[in-house]
Amino acid sequence: MSGQFRARNQVAIVGYAQSQVVRRSDELLGITAIKTALDAIKDAGLTPGQIDGFLSSSLLPTSGDHRSRDGYSVVSSDWLAPRLGASPRYIAGFQGKGQITGSFEAATNALAAGAADYVLLHRALYNPPGKYNNNPMTSAGGDAQWVAPQGFFGALPAISMAYNEYMQRYGASREAMAHLVVEARKNGARQPWSYWAGKPITVADYMAGELINDPMSKLDCDIPVQAVGAYVLTTADRAKDLPNKPVYISGYANAYPEHSLSLHWTLDEMMRAGADIGKRLWESTGFSPADIDAPQFYDGFSPFIYFWLESLGFCPVGEAHRFVLDGGINSDDPKSFAVLSGGGAIGNGRLHGLPQLLECYLQLSGRAAERQRKASVGLMTYSAPHFGGGGVVFTNDPS
Amino acid sequence: MSGRPLPIPDEQSQPFWTASAKHVLTLPRCSNCQKFSFPPDIVCPQCHTLEPAFEFQPVASGGKVRTWTVIRQSFLSGFETPFVLVDVELDAQAGLRMIGQLLDGPSAPLKVGDRVEVAFEDLAPGTSVPGFKLVKSS
Repeated sequence: MSGQFRARNQVAIVGYAQSQVVRRSDELLGITAIKTALDAIKDAGLTPGQIDGFLSSSLLPTSGDHRSRDGYSVVSSDWLAPRLGASPRYIAGFQGKGQITGSFEAATNALAAGAADYVLLHRALYNPPGKYNNNPMTSAGGDAQWVAPQGFFGALPAISMAYNEYMQRYGASREAMAHLVVEARKNGARQPWSYWAGKPITVADYMAGELINDPMSKLDCDIPVQAVGAYVLTTADRAKDLPNKPVYISGYANAYPEHSLSLHWTLDEMMRAGADIGKRLWESTGFSPADIDAPQFYDGFSPFIYFWLESLGFCPVGEAHRFVLDGGINSDDPKSFAVLSGGGAIGNGRLHGLPQLLECYLQLSGRAAERQRKASVGLMTYSAPHFGGGGVVFTNDPS
Repeated sequence: MSGRPLPIPDEQSQPFWTASAKHVLTLPRCSNCQKFSFPPDIVCPQCHTLEPAFEFQPVASGGKVRTWTVIRQSFLSGFETPFVLVDVELDAQAGLRMIGQLLDGPSAPLKVGDRVEVAFEDLAPGTSVPGFKLVKSS
């Protein structure tokens, strides 16, 4: 059995749109989604009538006590397609962990299989009223009964514990993480659409941040926002006739959660999943870590950057914090490995992988304007490696 | 009543909570492979039998701290912050882990590998949840 992706470089991104990122909006999420989708279709040089495939993942990723409503707090492809005046012959929703990579890969597969000729992929994020993850539960049944009565709930304590494991084991400092977060906010500050546009922070700001779950402060977490991103994909032969430089999908790999204590995985389990993704990613794409010059790693919680850098083989295990301190990811250095050059989630808002996809696309299509770097092979990762983590590799040179 | 979320025992978990109320830690053991797994699943995660018929067995209450966090803001209601959560590997079986509060509080010095033993918090009449206390090294 070959691990190589059979549809390597046969499908391409040909257009995109990214809405303004806001904390909350008077505009209904569905309206923002329609506008953003139409912008993306126009950017690709197409009309809504030509879009015959729709893919998305519409999960509202909160552990809070919020109900979802299509068009209001989530936007599914089923909801969106008829409101664009399209004539879909293929609509699918990705359900599971790894929402943006999972739905993007499914879109690629649909095009490679001929299920559709032009696919619109979108992701709509919503920030519900009240606190994003607060849950007023007074009793805990099912899986929650084993941990919630003790006070363990939601993703943050779990990630804080794994990050503490990392700090204790490798002697990583908060100063190193300060440089990482400052890098994310620096690049987000340079994005006009970002929630944090024009608002960089300093190392001192980070060090003064109040801890919420030790060793993490609010600045280690992305801020909940409302925004939509949309992408148009088509086959490589059709992409040649469209206005933008195509960015081809070379392959992908994912990992899925091991059975573990409710919502808690150890650092070793996370790293194992990442190493597994890395191994299959290079088999799938035919590339190696040395080929990647447009990396964008997921940073919904800041320590994920360390975990991705190390588990995929870009840094020796235990060294990512030193790599960051030494300027290894500084986007202002053309020779660096600038995994946050687009600002990521910490620099732009809780966009669940959209900033990583966007920056890979912009760098490889030559549309990154003043942030443009020399780029030929991109890698976006999403989520934490162990939790539906995934990586997609792109190239602008399919030869 | 503390205002903290109280466990809702179900058919599978009832023995665990009944024993906890008596301050006895019991953990689910697969009747096929005899290995503990926590929390219990529908199938056994170790031997994958579809009929694990987990039995809750009393286990030694000692273990060591793998990692921890200090919760200064809680997503849940009813908790007095700050409090410490510890991830403990139990002596009963390699890799068998439980998360609980460290009842010594946030000012107790803590490092990886520290010895702890299970201790219970009484949340309501008939409802106690397991946590941990540091074992003073002699």
